[in-house]
Amino acid sequence: MLHSPPVRLAEVTCGYTEKQMRGPGKTREILGTRACVSAEMATFEDESSTSQSPVDLFNSQGIDITPNKDRGVCKIVKRHGKEGERPMIGDKVHVHYTGRLLNGKKFDSSFDRKEPFVLNVGKGQVIKALDIGVCSMQKGEVCLLLCKPEYAYGSAGSPPKVPTNSTLLFEVELLNFRGEELTEDGGILRRIKVKGEGYNNPNEGATVHVHLEGRCGGRLFEARDITFVVGESEDMGVPLGVDRAMEKMQKGECCLLYLKPKYGYGKEGKPEYDIGPNAELLYEVTLKDFEKAKESWEMDLNEKLEKAVLVKQKGTQYFKSGRYYHAVIQYQRIVSWLEMECGVGKEQQQAIQALLLVAHLNLALCYLRLREYSQTVENCNKVVELDSQNEKALYRRGEARLLRNEFTLALMDFRQVLQVNPSNRAARCRIAVCQRKIREHHERDKKIYANMFQRFAEHDAKVGRLKRKKEESGLVDQNNKAVKKSRTKSQDGS
Amino acid sequence: MATNQLDDVIQRWRTTKEKDLKPEDHELFLNIGGTCIAQGDTTQLLDFIKEEKNQGIVKSMGCGLLRPLIKDVVGKERDPVHCEAIITHLVQICRANDLLDVLLREMEDADPDAIADTIILLMQHIQLVLSRLGDSKALSLGRALAALQKQISKLPVPYSRKQEQEDKYGLCRCCTALLTFVQPFVQEVKSQDTKSPVTTSNDEELRTVLLKFCMQSLREPLLEAQLDREADTTQNSPLRNFATEIMAILSAIQEPLPKLLFYYPLRGKEDMGVGRQDDSHPTESRACLAYLLFVQLIAMEVFPAVFSPIFVLRCNMEYINILLSRKDESWILKGLDLYVKSLERVLDNSLPVQLLELRPFYSVPQILVKIMIECPIQHLRVKALVVFQLFIEKLNGEAKHKFFRCIMKTSQHAGVESVILKNIKNQAEHSSKSEHRDGWFEGTLLISLLRDTVSLPQGPETDLLHGMDRVMESLNLLRYLLIKERTKSTAIWTDLCNIAKTYIKILRVCLSMSKSYYGTELKSLHEEKKIKAKEFKEMSKKKSIQHMIVKNESLGGMPPEAQDKVLQCALVTYDLMESLVVRIEEITEERV
Repeated sequence: MLHSPPVRLAEVTCGYTEKQMRGPGKTREILGTRACVSAEMATFEDESSTSQSPVDLFNSQGIDITPNKDRGVCKIVKRHGKEGERPMIGDKVHVHYTGRLLNGKKFDSSFDRKEPFVLNVGKGQVIKALDIGVCSMQKGEVCLLLCKPEYAYGSAGSPPKVPTNSTLLFEVELLNFRGEELTEDGGILRRIKVKGEGYNNPNEGATVHVHLEGRCGGRLFEARDITFVVGESEDMGVPLGVDRAMEKMQKGECCLLYLKPKYGYGKEGKPEYDIGPNAELLYEVTLKDFEKAKESWEMDLNEKLEKAVLVKQKGTQYFKSGRYYHAVIQYQRIVSWLEMECGVGKEQQQAIQALLLVAHLNLALCYLRLREYSQTVENCNKVVELDSQNEKALYRRGEARLLRNEFTLALMDFRQVLQVNPSNRAARCRIAVCQRKIREHHERDKKIYANMFQRFAEHDAKVGRLKRKKEESGLVDQNNKAVKKSRTKSQDGS
Repeated sequence: MATNQLDDVIQRWRTTKEKDLKPEDHELFLNIGGTCIAQGDTTQLLDFIKEEKNQGIVKSMGCGLLRPLIKDVVGKERDPVHCEAIITHLVQICRANDLLDVLLREMEDADPDAIADTIILLMQHIQLVLSRLGDSKALSLGRALAALQKQISKLPVPYSRKQEQEDKYGLCRCCTALLTFVQPFVQEVKSQDTKSPVTTSNDEELRTVLLKFCMQSLREPLLEAQLDREADTTQNSPLRNFATEIMAILSAIQEPLPKLLFYYPLRGKEDMGVGRQDDSHPTESRACLAYLLFVQLIAMEVFPAVFSPIFVLRCNMEYINILLSRKDESWILKGLDLYVKSLERVLDNSLPVQLLELRPFYSVPQILVKIMIECPIQHLRVKALVVFQLFIEKLNGEAKHKFFRCIMKTSQHAGVESVILKNIKNQAEHSSKSEHRDGWFEGTLLISLLRDTVSLPQGPETDLLHGMDRVMESLNLLRYLLIKERTKSTAIWTDLCNIAKTYIKILRVCLSMSKSYYGTELKSLHEEKKIKAKEFKEMSKKKSIQHMIVKNESLGGMPPEAQDKVLQCALVTYDLMESLVVRIEEITEERV
């Protein structure tokens, strides 16, 4: 207990230095290697104004990089990048660019916004010329692109700056790229090898036909054709990450998926493939075909109710086998179908209520197991909205809050449980735990703050002395270290 | 209380420590202060509060005086100079947290008739209090802004430019004041950025609070505001100015617009609820952002120009969907404008059929049709039709083919169906002329489209008068195609003739039924007229009985003259249809 304050402070200092170190790096990215780029541009402009028009320059030096070789996009490399990979389709790419008309007039530049331009390359998010151009680059490369209107804004132009049928000149620097994160936690990274057709994706419950190749540390451990239902891949032994990626894929797409253990075989590993615990996996997946499941808006209420019962069973089955993520997917489906339904007649209303209640209650339990406590609380709140006396919901919310160190709130929840059911012994135990924790917490706080003022005074005195020293020597670096050291020391002393 | 007694009390307070003051003391102080204010002795109170020796008292108990002071200023019964001076003094001396609580509570309790005055008065003081909070102000700023915006959202948004100038309820004044209010905090974030790349947590929090404020402002009041009823830009519009400044704040706090608009996770649920969408960036706010950017071109100069028009359209379609789904003039108008602007940059004949698989690309045209048919506001109906046509122009051949069939199946409105049939005719005409034909409006593909569209879904029971638009357009289309094809030796002639024959066969049944029905109706109407005329003559002879009987006999609420006109008109239409039918039959027989 006595040690805790110094440790905490040390952490803070560490965080600080780390941020400081990140600082300049970030600035560099923001500015790109602007000096270089503008210099390049200057030379280029010189060339264009004195000797050659840009078009002539590209005719003599430019390389046609269009797939059908129609000289729609020509490229001149001004600075070579690092040898190695080039961006793949869908990669999240950071670039700096300046776009000009042939008369030299700038119409758009990422430098003016003081931040790099970010895009998922090769997916038609930007004009064709840039998609093609960036895909051809390497990290750090700087190049010039001459783009015919068909690869830029065409006959429509981009009013007010780009007139119709303009040939454009881009200068692009590729700063960085990495695969596309399919989940917010970055647990699934996708890189597309072959782009799929159209815009249609499988949805939750769709039947997909895929070819899988799974690798772990470079070793191929499975290769097979398989058909499964999105959200239920577990039944066919396909890892969660592949399942989750399905909703983002199109027919015919072939991609690489980099899976964190959570989305692979997790803590248990997979002995039958000789995969140990917490292994990262690489899957190559081809979506050969799929049949969509009916969307929520395509079903009437009765159909939804019927399906919800089946989905609930599926969820429970996953829950029992400890597949909490999979269970969450199933229960979540019930919520998304029925959340906005009100139903006609008492019978239907009750059926909806009952299903929603169970779904939220089970979601709360799943999230509790997954240690996603805020989600637990949220789902319990939904249950309490429907039924303010729900013992399980109150208890689970209390548990989640207890684990989030919100002792007072937890205490209130458990007391409410006892009001609903005075014979709930577990809740009684939990109340005792809460009370003990609250006491402990108070005491710790007391100790932490006890000598605070004295410490501050000492600290101020030292900083004052150091400042004077700094003014004398002017060595910032050493001083910083000294401050940290002295601060830690003073805490140890207390 | 006698003066000397009061002096004693004050003397005692001056020497008492803050924590030793009892609730009775507080009460007494407030009573005395309150009485002063009520009686208008504010000069005296000001002197007391400014007295150096009293600063301790004011610091510990002064907060309570704010409430009556604010009431007095807002009430405007007297010259507020002294009250305002007292408030300013209190705001500088009392504890910042207490002050904030009191001021925010006052704001929440604002008299519904004086919301604007109250919050404009309070804003300057809250700003001062916040600036006293130093580095821990982000949270409090968030609280203050939320409370302010909640009050402002209660004010009606001006509808016309004139109302905006009058600003009867004070919304525009509030918006302007709000901008002044947040300015120092925006500046703080900005100066942090230039000073060092290291971001402090306070900085981050301020940024988050300001972002939330901007998003909320976009939702209310900007989504309701009519920003360009009259395209008169010379006149200064406070709401437009507000919109511009909000966009400026977004860029000042380094929030990239593409990220907000295009790369924001739209469906949080897919990711197993890990990153659920929080309510601080509602889709409506982002829809308004898209509108301001793409339609009003506010902040367009800092928006990257390299996005492909189709991608922009795809992203905006979600927003258009939301804007059009709400039955509210300002929303629908924004949706339609955004739709037009998003389509204008797309090349004609370039949208691929796969786009129609996306949900908003399905639902937006459906809503558009609904607006065209049902919306009570005429200029919206007209605009919807224009956008509908514009969208059709942008689809490529295959997409048009699919879209036409889909609308014919779902619209169930003769007017809309006639628009589609007219488009089919135009496409057939176009495809024979243009060099890069894609074949979707000729040959067997055209025939299959005609089979689905040139028909009378209710068979002989079709109400021809009601479905007139569709029937006429179908006949026009058939005639055009037959004339076009008769000179060529293409394989579709037989198919075309078959379609025409089947259609005409049913139509003829319809026509003869309708004609005889309307003919009889007209006849009986004429008979009645005769009878009435006769009766009238007789009656005018008798004169004693008035027009009672005549009134009893009038049919269907419509005066007989109008009925007569409608029936005549219908018969003329049927004649017109019949003449077209005859012409078509002639053409088909000529060639055979």
